[in-house]
Amino acid sequence: MNLTLLRFFSNEFRKRRKKAALITFALFWGSLSILLLLAFGQGMSAQFRISFSGLGQDLIMISGGQTSKLYQGLPKGRRIRLYPDDIQYLKERIPEISLIAPESYNNWPVSANRKEINRTIHGTTAEFAHMRTQIPQMGGRFLNTADVKNGRKVAFIGWKVGTDLFGTENPVGQKIVINRIPFTVIGVLKKKLQDSMYQGPDADQIYLPYSAFTQIDSQLHIDRIHIQPRETKLSPLIEERVETLLGKKNRFDPTDRYALSIWNTIENAKEAGAIFKGIEVFLGIMGALTLLIGAVGVTNLMYAIIRERKQEIGIKMALGAKRRVIIQQFILETLFIFLKGTFWGLVTAFNIIHLVRLVPINYDGFGIEGYLLRPVFSFETFIIFLVIVGTLVFISGIFPAVRASRLNPIDSLRYE
Amino acid sequence: MIKFNKIKKIYHMGTQSLEALSGVSLQIAAGEFVTVMGPSGSGKSTLMNIIGCLDTPTDGEYFLEGKNVAGLTFDQLASIRNKMMGFVFQNFNLLPYATAWENIELPMLFNGKNARNRKERITELLNEVGLLKWKEHRPSELSGGQQQRIALARALANDPPIILADAPTGNLDSKSGVEIIELLSRLWKKGHTIIMVTHDDRLASHSQRIIHLFDGREAD
Repeated sequence: MNLTLLRFFSNEFRKRRKKAALITFALFWGSLSILLLLAFGQGMSAQFRISFSGLGQDLIMISGGQTSKLYQGLPKGRRIRLYPDDIQYLKERIPEISLIAPESYNNWPVSANRKEINRTIHGTTAEFAHMRTQIPQMGGRFLNTADVKNGRKVAFIGWKVGTDLFGTENPVGQKIVINRIPFTVIGVLKKKLQDSMYQGPDADQIYLPYSAFTQIDSQLHIDRIHIQPRETKLSPLIEERVETLLGKKNRFDPTDRYALSIWNTIENAKEAGAIFKGIEVFLGIMGALTLLIGAVGVTNLMYAIIRERKQEIGIKMALGAKRRVIIQQFILETLFIFLKGTFWGLVTAFNIIHLVRLVPINYDGFGIEGYLLRPVFSFETFIIFLVIVGTLVFISGIFPAVRASRLNPIDSLRYE
Repeated sequence: MIKFNKIKKIYHMGTQSLEALSGVSLQIAAGEFVTVMGPSGSGKSTLMNIIGCLDTPTDGEYFLEGKNVAGLTFDQLASIRNKMMGFVFQNFNLLPYATAWENIELPMLFNGKNARNRKERITELLNEVGLLKWKEHRPSELSGGQQQRIALARALANDPPIILADAPTGNLDSKSGVEIIELLSRLWKKGHTIIMVTHDDRLASHSQRIIHLFDGREAD
């Protein structure tokens, strides 16, 4: 379209924009809601993924159970336990396994700094860190293979254990005594969101090399095996093969659902991810409906504007304006009205989102705020928003515009 | 140039129908200055609207430069109005939010004329009607005579062969009215075809020929 004509139309629009003030507010409000709902929905999904991975990334956890089926003449109700050599056994036989680690735990008194507390002490290996999101704070590290191989008396502790024993002091390098054996703290867990757990949050745990753990605890079996598959889609296959192999080794029916207890976070995450996606879409639709109310207002306003400008439309037609020109002008006016309201909605939403993100999250007592305080203003949100607004501009502008272009120039000119 | 063959126009208003034109046949040659006269309701405006392609006849044929106008689309008629017709209305019909300059520019914008040509043409027209220094004023800031002169300049923007003036002096004082008639006469001398509606015999005397309408027919 000709630039002069565009300037001409925008001048005509500016002369009457006061009438659009209330509608502009409705559009502002609609845009604000749609953007905030999308951002909070996406933030919730993202926070869910983060807190879910607080327990671990793509994790299959296996622990012993109780048989419910007869097997090779053995009775039901037998207790099935896992043993340290199961790790090597499974690793050799299931190539789809990327990482595997044992875990045993027990409650022991822990003392340091003339304080004594009771905590769950875990024995595990270096691979555990990757699977269970055990990220050390600056200046520390998790257990490594040498620690495990040599049975070093070192400990990796949760951040709450650190503050419980040492207050604000740096625990790294300090000695803690577990069951009368001294250990050196080599790392403290970095704060993280965690919504799933089996012995309390990782913030309260103490991890020792498995070889060192067996020196303070006489337990022969292991409590849990952690497995990370090479690819997430391999997880059902691994589950099945673990059941078959351990059934053969530890003598139980592989089809016995209760002989092993398997917690597959991959499948859980998929389900929960779908639920959150659903919530996101729902919130987006809610926002779009709010904006739709504004759009209906715009359509209404445009019809009123046409009635008021009948004569001008007639003049333009007499001067040779084609239908297209009339339609363009009214679509453009619709766009101008939308631009103003939605622009301020966008600016306001952007600022609210970034202000909310500044609020610190309390990592110690995990609550609803963990999900709500990290809305995301993503490029995706922006594109979805533009598509919705564009569609609404078209829908709310096209009907009045076509009506205007179908006016009879004679009737319009006679109108005074 | 313009040929009407038994043109009829019937308006339907609810259950009633009104025959505004009942079979008018006439011819207007290129370069003529014609006045249409007749009492109110005689069909003058309807005749003008049909000549100007703002309205279409219910029946009959209208040949413009030998071409039948019937059956043309809205946009084709718009194009004819834009290139061949210059309208001057009794109530000026200037766009209230546009300046004198912009009002004259509009027909050229619909025509796709480039910026340099537009500027030259508007300056020329404003000079011709003696209102160049009023170019940035809006219609509400101009007198009736000035507004009508801007409207006339606008009608000439695309240099159309036909000027349709529907009671151009009806809302003006006599002095301004004379100015408008003089402008129209000058245009006629330059070769434009002028078709004017008026109730004023003195104004009609400027024209070559008078068409009298009565009850939608040509009166003898």
